[in-house]
Amino acid sequence: MKTRYFEYFIGPQHPGVTGNMSYHLWARGDEIVKMEPSVGYLHRGFEKLMEQREWIKNVPMVPRICVPEPDVNEILYAMGVEELAGITPPERAQYIRVLVLEMARMAAYLFYFGGVAGALGLYTIPQWTIGDRDYILDRFEELTGGRIYHIYIQPGGVRRDIPEGFRERVLKLMDYLERRLKDYDRLMFYNAVVEKRTKGVGVIEKEYALQMGVTGPNLRASGYPADVRKDDPYLVYDRLEFDVPITGDGDIYSRMLQRRLEFEESIKIVRQVLESIPEGPIMVKLPHPLEWKVPQGDVYVKVESSKGEYGYYIVSDGGVKPYRIHVRGPSMPHCFQAAKEKIVGMRIADVPVMIFSLDICPPDIER
Amino acid sequence: MGLFKFAQSRSLWMMHFCTGCGAVEMPPTMTSRFDMERFGIAPMATPRQADILLITGYLTVKTLKRVIRSYEQMPDPKYVIGFGSCTLNGGMYWDSYNTIKRLDLYLPVDIYINGCMPRPEAIIEAFVKLREIIAKGEANGWKKYKENIKWYKENQAKVFDVKKWSVIKWE
Amino acid sequence: MGIEGKIVEDIVKRFGDKVRAEVQRERRVKFYIDPINIKPLLYYLKEKGFIHLSSISCVDWIKENQFELVYHLWSYEDKVHLMVKTKISRENPEMETMIPVFPVAETYEREIYEMFGVSFPGNPNLKPLFLEDWDGPPPMRKDFDTRAYVREKYGMIDLTEILRQGMDKIKGVRDEDEIL
Repeated sequence: MKTRYFEYFIGPQHPGVTGNMSYHLWARGDEIVKMEPSVGYLHRGFEKLMEQREWIKNVPMVPRICVPEPDVNEILYAMGVEELAGITPPERAQYIRVLVLEMARMAAYLFYFGGVAGALGLYTIPQWTIGDRDYILDRFEELTGGRIYHIYIQPGGVRRDIPEGFRERVLKLMDYLERRLKDYDRLMFYNAVVEKRTKGVGVIEKEYALQMGVTGPNLRASGYPADVRKDDPYLVYDRLEFDVPITGDGDIYSRMLQRRLEFEESIKIVRQVLESIPEGPIMVKLPHPLEWKVPQGDVYVKVESSKGEYGYYIVSDGGVKPYRIHVRGPSMPHCFQAAKEKIVGMRIADVPVMIFSLDICPPDIER
Repeated sequence: MGLFKFAQSRSLWMMHFCTGCGAVEMPPTMTSRFDMERFGIAPMATPRQADILLITGYLTVKTLKRVIRSYEQMPDPKYVIGFGSCTLNGGMYWDSYNTIKRLDLYLPVDIYINGCMPRPEAIIEAFVKLREIIAKGEANGWKKYKENIKWYKENQAKVFDVKKWSVIKWE
Repeated sequence: MGIEGKIVEDIVKRFGDKVRAEVQRERRVKFYIDPINIKPLLYYLKEKGFIHLSSISCVDWIKENQFELVYHLWSYEDKVHLMVKTKISRENPEMETMIPVFPVAETYEREIYEMFGVSFPGNPNLKPLFLEDWDGPPPMRKDFDTRAYVREKYGMIDLTEILRQGMDKIKGVRDEDEIL
């Protein structure tokens, strides 16, 4: 007697997918036998569009590549162009850039908690975390003028200085978020339903993660302490003090706990930055932007985003437009290697939780 | 007839489809700070029980096929809101080889929200305006689709294979 | 000399003049090699601790009629990033698959096949990744004109063209009232 598999299309119009991707499941009863992801619903051809615009015209284009955390793309583009052109931005700009990046990391982690809890069926947590994330977006609006897409970091420095009273408001916000973390602990992490559904489920071992290109909090949750801020320091991270926590089990609960521990480290970094920020100019004088020719060469720059290692490979041939920019997003190995191979053998109800817990973001797979 | 239109405009359900960039402003609109549920609007998982299709941002050809299929599965009356500058004239991706430039050629749109990206207050203002025009009886995009179906299908055929992806019969 | 110099010395001693090395700055080293010798070099580097393949990039040098493939490697122990570069011909471009060395390479090669048209014999999964029912040439090549393609397929609204026609009318050059 031949067994038959039941096919499920979890398509783009579905509340259980992160963003706009789809996957195809084959199941025998309640157990998954094969999974095939399908991406390409958000492909705009960014790398081709960036070759047809001058260097300065790419600055507003670049944040749209990763929608939940756009500042990572801005800082990578600025770092790459500065390295090619030999520009060093001033000290005050570097400290302000660290502040913006850490606040963006905290907002992305809050969005992540809302997503995973929504997939588990606990709807109080998204209401709380997305409400708290809005307070961070209010600070961004005061500093840069926009809630989601900031267009604030550009090659040479940052565009505007910190306004009056901003420092006090951010410190008050950090105190508020620290108090809220205790509430989130009681609601999410000491919760019997969450523990039963996520402990021991979806385990990714350390050796597998290192071989298969898993980076970021997912790798640290499997037990290896790798962080681009410590291994390949950029901006002023080598002068700031912070730890790199690891939780070693590699299951879904570890991945959630990992991000909650790193949230505390980000609060520490923001407090240190606001205490030790130096005075000075915020931007270096650039040549005429529409006739700016960046010298010939190629560089690879990378940062630690909230999803993993994010990198840009920029090639310039000495002209007014870039010759080639290649974006390395962190979610491609997570989706096509880790999720595809580890979902085999799980139950159907655990599949959306696994995909949300790896923090797969379709816009940076397909740009 | 006035009572019927009043009731129709007061409980609209929005289909849950994050089509582009703009979907990142939907959770703040749905949760307690900006709260669109006090207007009677709630997200709904299936197209068969939804009234509004919110196209949040640009559409690639691969998504457009699925959007047309979902739109044709929604029962009448139904409304389409175009969210962001990319539905008006292509926006920032005007020279991209994979996104469509004018949503109006493929689907009938009732209200546009401009901006890149629009704030949650702008989304709520668009919903309030949609309620007003439904109560007046002017939101007839779904009738325009049925009357001019050949023109819409000709435009769609330039971009993808309509016979494979359509649900309704038009010839 | 630092760790970058030691790595360069080790590779040059083992591979001789088949490889050319360059230290760009701290933590960045480049190697230039021919396509025939690239697989033994990647096997050797993986044994030496470079276990993480970040990405494979492809650059289209149309004037020299070549494609350049760049393999980005990272070592967690030594904390150095390598760029291993090789050039292949632009007519019938083809490169051996690196799946036996790094299993992650499967998806990166699939993307390069779709965007540039470089085939990787030995890769079992070269199906289309992002584009469905695509009817044109590989889109990232330098001889694919996106604006002509968009104008024909989607009817692009070119705002710079409308502005230029408007400015010409104001200056008195044009008198017809047509837009596009």
